[in-house]
Amino acid sequence: MKHPWLKRLLSLHGLLFLAFVYAPIIIVVVYSFNSHPVNMMVWKDFTFDWYLSIFGNPTKLTEQTLYVESTDQLLSAVKNSLTVAVTTTTFATIVGTATALAIYRYHFKLKPFYQGLLYMPMVMPDIVLGIALLVFFINFGVKLGLMSIIIGHCTFLISYVFVVVSARLAGMDSTLEEASADLGANPWATFRRVTLPQILPGIVGGALLAFIISMDDLVITYFIAGVDSTTLPVFIYGMLRRGVKPEINAIATLMLLFSFAIAALGLYFRRRN
Amino acid sequence: MDSIAEVREAVKRFPAPEGGVITALDDISLNIQQGQFMTLLGPSGCGKTTLLRAISGFEDLDSGEVRIAGESVAGVPPYRRPVNTVFQNYALFPHLSVSGNVGYGLDLARVSKTEREQRVGEALERVNLSGFDRRKPAQLSGGQQQRVALARAIINQPKLLLLDEPLSALDRNLRQSMQLELKSLQHDLGICFLFVTHDQEEALTMSDQVVVLDHGRIEQIGPPEELYHQPATRFVAGFIGDGTLFSGTIENGAEDPILVTEDGLRISVGIGPSVGTKATLIIRPEHLNIAPQEPDNSLGILDAVLEQSVFQGATRQYVCKLANGTSISVSVAGSGDEALSNVNPGDPIRLAYRRNTPHLILES
Repeated sequence: MKHPWLKRLLSLHGLLFLAFVYAPIIIVVVYSFNSHPVNMMVWKDFTFDWYLSIFGNPTKLTEQTLYVESTDQLLSAVKNSLTVAVTTTTFATIVGTATALAIYRYHFKLKPFYQGLLYMPMVMPDIVLGIALLVFFINFGVKLGLMSIIIGHCTFLISYVFVVVSARLAGMDSTLEEASADLGANPWATFRRVTLPQILPGIVGGALLAFIISMDDLVITYFIAGVDSTTLPVFIYGMLRRGVKPEINAIATLMLLFSFAIAALGLYFRRRN
Repeated sequence: MDSIAEVREAVKRFPAPEGGVITALDDISLNIQQGQFMTLLGPSGCGKTTLLRAISGFEDLDSGEVRIAGESVAGVPPYRRPVNTVFQNYALFPHLSVSGNVGYGLDLARVSKTEREQRVGEALERVNLSGFDRRKPAQLSGGQQQRVALARAIINQPKLLLLDEPLSALDRNLRQSMQLELKSLQHDLGICFLFVTHDQEEALTMSDQVVVLDHGRIEQIGPPEELYHQPATRFVAGFIGDGTLFSGTIENGAEDPILVTEDGLRISVGIGPSVGTKATLIIRPEHLNIAPQEPDNSLGILDAVLEQSVFQGATRQYVCKLANGTSISVSVAGSGDEALSNVNPGDPIRLAYRRNTPHLILES
């Protein structure tokens, strides 16, 4: 870099980019502590009331604004979201990992075609998948509810796990498995002692990704959720339609914290290996 | 002597990527005796690694069989064969410590904890790596990783240890000291080593028997001295050691027979071959000397022009050109021949060799 001002310009560019990405998020976090009851974009005072309110503790501020929807509804949406995410993640991780292992190990006709089919759900528009699933469930008489959401999420989350585990398998030295067999390990012992520890970071990474996407999904879930099976994103969307309420900021901040925790967990696993 | 492993008429073909078929093993038969250090030597693609994998069980033969300790191992999976392998890239388990790697075979056999510790300690001591047991493979140098791979492979006390170009990733100095260490390790353990390499120097240094392979066929089996001094084929002569090959037909000379090459070079050879035989003569640099003023009858003479004189430490090499343009090297011990001290590049010189020394390969 010849000119110092060029260097400064580059730094400025970097800062502007970061601001572009993170400013809206920071604003949401800051205003979740704003005590202005009507216009949440006008700063008044610092308060924890919105957080207290979403956990069902009425305060002077929230009583006065009467914005709070039923806390039971919110908590039930969170519970639904967690149920769906945990079930889907477990299933998608097992099936996705098994599929990745099968594709890695065996050579068969139409393998590239089959691989392509596995990548497809990742690029398919959510809205198409949502409509397709809805039509499918209705035609086959599947009752819309938590089960239909779980099945729907699995259809595309298996692909995500498959892709992440496949990448890890592709980077694994295949002679490790041969070395294990050479030293007397039968196929099961080789899998347990060599293959599994080698691809574990991929499996954990795929599972965390599936969990986050499942927790976060609005479009597909919106189509296939039943009346009594609202998930958190669907619940928030419903709240927004009846006006933007200050609690939204608090809920968004908590979800953000949760995502950071998941990402940190993922990083920790990657570091450890 | 007992036969430890035997390969009988092994054939293995692969589909070639560009269509057609590659014959990796073409009717290979060999026998490894108790306590032997045998080397499979050949250029890349000669089938040596395929042969090793057929013995370790990672490759099935199309026909023929592998016998270990007298029994056919057809259909026996690698994990039930009494052989162990040192892999070319070492294939150490990155998630296990040195101790975890070396003790892997013992853990599978559910050896008791005290015995495991003792045997891992012994194996590490054998390869001079005591005290490294807690390290991870990534924290070791290439040479140390090599030793861990070796310790891991010998801890099960296999009947036969297979080594797939284990030294190729090491630098030259380390490679040479490892060659001697491997040789003495093999002697101490008393187990058979089957060693794969494309490096002829490595093969000559370590082996009791060398198997030279080319295009899936065995060119020659024998001790290193035999391969060097009496190569059976042109390929072996060219692959092992330095030297110049002359191909031609035997004709009658004034005293001894003469080999006449296609481009008319006449080289006298020792007694033996009958007139009209097609043959190849191999003249190695140490066979040649500067011809004395009045050569006696036992010497063959070659007229040449000096091209270059190269100092090589213990020897000096003179690169010369014969009348037909063939280049030939002369190696002289010490710092050089006095008779040559005032011969400059471009000057003619006469080279002499004992007629019976260079080996003659007769074509049938």
